Amino acid sequence: MTANLDYWRKPSMIKTPSLRYGIYIAAITYFVLTVATLPIDWQRAAEGIERAGRIFSGAFPPNFDRSELLITGFLESLKIAILASAGGMLLSVPLAFMAAGNISPKPIYYLGRGIIIIARSFHPVIVAIIFVKAVGFGPFAGALTLIVYSIGFVAKLLAERIEEIDFGQVEALRAAGAPFLSTMFYAITPQIMPRMVGLGIYQLDSNLRASAVVGIVGAGGIGSTLANAFGRYDYDFALAITMVIVGVILISEAFSGVIRKQLL
Amino acid sequence: MINQNTLDSWSRYTPVQRMKRYGAFLAITLVVVWALRSIDVIWEWVWDAPVQLLDLFGRMIPPDPTNLPSILEAIWQTINIATIATFIAVFLSLPVAYIAAQNTTPNRFTLWIGRFILVSSRSVNTIIWALLFVAIFGPGIIAGIIAIMFRSIGFLGKLLGEAIEEIDPNPIEALEACGASRFKIVLYGIVPQVLPAFFAISILRWDINLRESTVLGLVGAGGIGIILQGAIDTFQWTEVSMVLLTILALVIFGEVVSTFLRRRIL
Amino acid sequence: MLEIKKLVKRYGAGAPVLKDLDLTVQGEQVMSIIGSSGAGKSTLLRCVNRLVEPTSGSIRLNGTDFTTLSTRELRFARRRVGMVFQGYNLVDRLTVMENVQSGRLGYISTWAALTRRFPKEDIRRAYELMERVGIAQYASKRADELSGGERQRVGVVRALMQRPEILLADEPTASLDPKTSEQIMALLRDLASELNLPVIINIHNVNEAKEYSDRIVGMRYGRIIFDDVPEALDAAQMDEIYSGTPSEDRKAQGASA
Repeated sequence: MTANLDYWRKPSMIKTPSLRYGIYIAAITYFVLTVATLPIDWQRAAEGIERAGRIFSGAFPPNFDRSELLITGFLESLKIAILASAGGMLLSVPLAFMAAGNISPKPIYYLGRGIIIIARSFHPVIVAIIFVKAVGFGPFAGALTLIVYSIGFVAKLLAERIEEIDFGQVEALRAAGAPFLSTMFYAITPQIMPRMVGLGIYQLDSNLRASAVVGIVGAGGIGSTLANAFGRYDYDFALAITMVIVGVILISEAFSGVIRKQLL
Repeated sequence: MINQNTLDSWSRYTPVQRMKRYGAFLAITLVVVWALRSIDVIWEWVWDAPVQLLDLFGRMIPPDPTNLPSILEAIWQTINIATIATFIAVFLSLPVAYIAAQNTTPNRFTLWIGRFILVSSRSVNTIIWALLFVAIFGPGIIAGIIAIMFRSIGFLGKLLGEAIEEIDPNPIEALEACGASRFKIVLYGIVPQVLPAFFAISILRWDINLRESTVLGLVGAGGIGIILQGAIDTFQWTEVSMVLLTILALVIFGEVVSTFLRRRIL
Repeated sequence: MLEIKKLVKRYGAGAPVLKDLDLTVQGEQVMSIIGSSGAGKSTLLRCVNRLVEPTSGSIRLNGTDFTTLSTRELRFARRRVGMVFQGYNLVDRLTVMENVQSGRLGYISTWAALTRRFPKEDIRRAYELMERVGIAQYASKRADELSGGERQRVGVVRALMQRPEILLADEPTASLDPKTSEQIMALLRDLASELNLPVIINIHNVNEAKEYSDRIVGMRYGRIIFDDVPEALDAAQMDEIYSGTPSEDRKAQGASA
């Protein structure tokens, strides 16, 4: 009954052979071309290993002498993260409602989605540069940057959560004649509250990491301390700062994990 | 007999719970106020901010396309940095994920090493890696590619490790009963089970890396960031907005491609 | 021939799950093991190919003592023991042919395994076996597209591809509906005689055990208390096998010790 009794090949993922081979050839061509034309200074790269050795020996042991600078920088990052999370959450809630397809009228929906997309598209570092140019160096620019960063993340996920709610609850209240705001508070908010809290905690952690980075372009926090150290070739101080950053991130991750477990 | 007096009040939370909620609320408000007051904010600048932002925005319009060819070439380079770095990182993350997963790691020592590699890679931001590698390899895309690689290994390894830990152990048991070697068990029992997650995670990281690559140039590690930095430093705001538009287009391109790939493969 | 002598399995410091078990199986018989849950049927079967490590005792299959093998030797020895599982234990995302050929993984080269270029004789034998059990048309289908009964047949073919000297089946029909269950039992019985293969089946459906096996072994809390032809299994014996609780059993053993 079975024709080819001693031959079997696994069916390929891409059915049509022309398409399959076309993709293989395109992929290989892409890689060969780009790797060949990459503007790499191989000479400098080779020297890099030696330079790496010098940097690492200069970096050990980490230098904690200027620890007040470290601590100030870290505290500033912490404050930026707190403000950004609070502000971001506050702004994300109405924005999420705007961007939820099931409760928002079409034009407002598109507006909301558009704002979220623009907020998400630009790397926080780019946003930081813009804010620094607009409102000056310092943590205020950093906080504004991370508010935008938070909105891009929290509002998007919150909007998705709103779109997934059990609409029956809203219908029931509407049928009973409840006004719009009441419906929102009774039917929608309880359903999205757990997700909102979870996102808030996650974003606080996320902002803490990001605040270390926006400082590199002058938006305050420990990032600027780090950039300065690198610029002055103070590699041992830079290592100390990096260790603190990593340590803080780890603690914050553990912390938010604990809080999440407590709440759930 | 039901006592009428007990039935005319109701509250959602017990007094203890209410105290806890108020307490938490108060704590959060205090923290925010502390942050607000102790941060070095010059409030005149804060109120001035919207005006400044609008002024800046005004100087950016209309976007200036004169330098478009070099901008597009830099975008192409950015795409290449992200793609090549993600590609290599995906392969490098496989063994790390294997030893960082509790059900496949050979012993506690390798588990610890795997976890350590992943945590260090994840905790240091791509830009900071880029700073380091620019110091080592000099400005240029080598620093950028390696920075993206280093960061991606942690991301990919962690999620892949979790996917490995979640596999169904039953087929593994059957393959052991057949007398297959460890490598063949991985090949036939583990790889097929984590393949969907593997593709989803890799595509996701490529998308994220596209974004990350756009700013590498700001610390000298290649890509469109270099042109952006140049334009900002010379106050050519119309060119800045042009670059930002191309970055926006790049990000949208990345989202379209990754959604397409995800739908086709999964 | 499978010879099990004085097999003991103890988890931690508790009471042993298998207590000084002796069992011999040879020839083309179908042997069913019955007993209540906790009797140790599954543990016994898994001790044979050391998926569960015996605490003490010996297990000899055609002269090889499995309990003393090194890891590498064990791997080679396992090829000689075919196993069919209650949950089928297939790799869902792979095709039926790949699942079936994974029974040969102990024999083929790594390259062949990686590229799925299986040896011609293996493919031929796979098609023969699949034809025999009625799943040849599914060769290139994903395993999770098949029904329960069909999946179990894939499991059976996989085990037979090893050309095993003995076939172990751990509650192979527990997840199947009654009709499919009978089909699988009949299949195992027929294959046993066609391939001259001893088959040991764990089963909790006593009627199926009586109908499809040549020999029934009844276990109770780690001991074999019945070992005879199915006709000899009467109501009184069944009560013996399925009655009691672990603590009662421990007390009784303590009294007689």
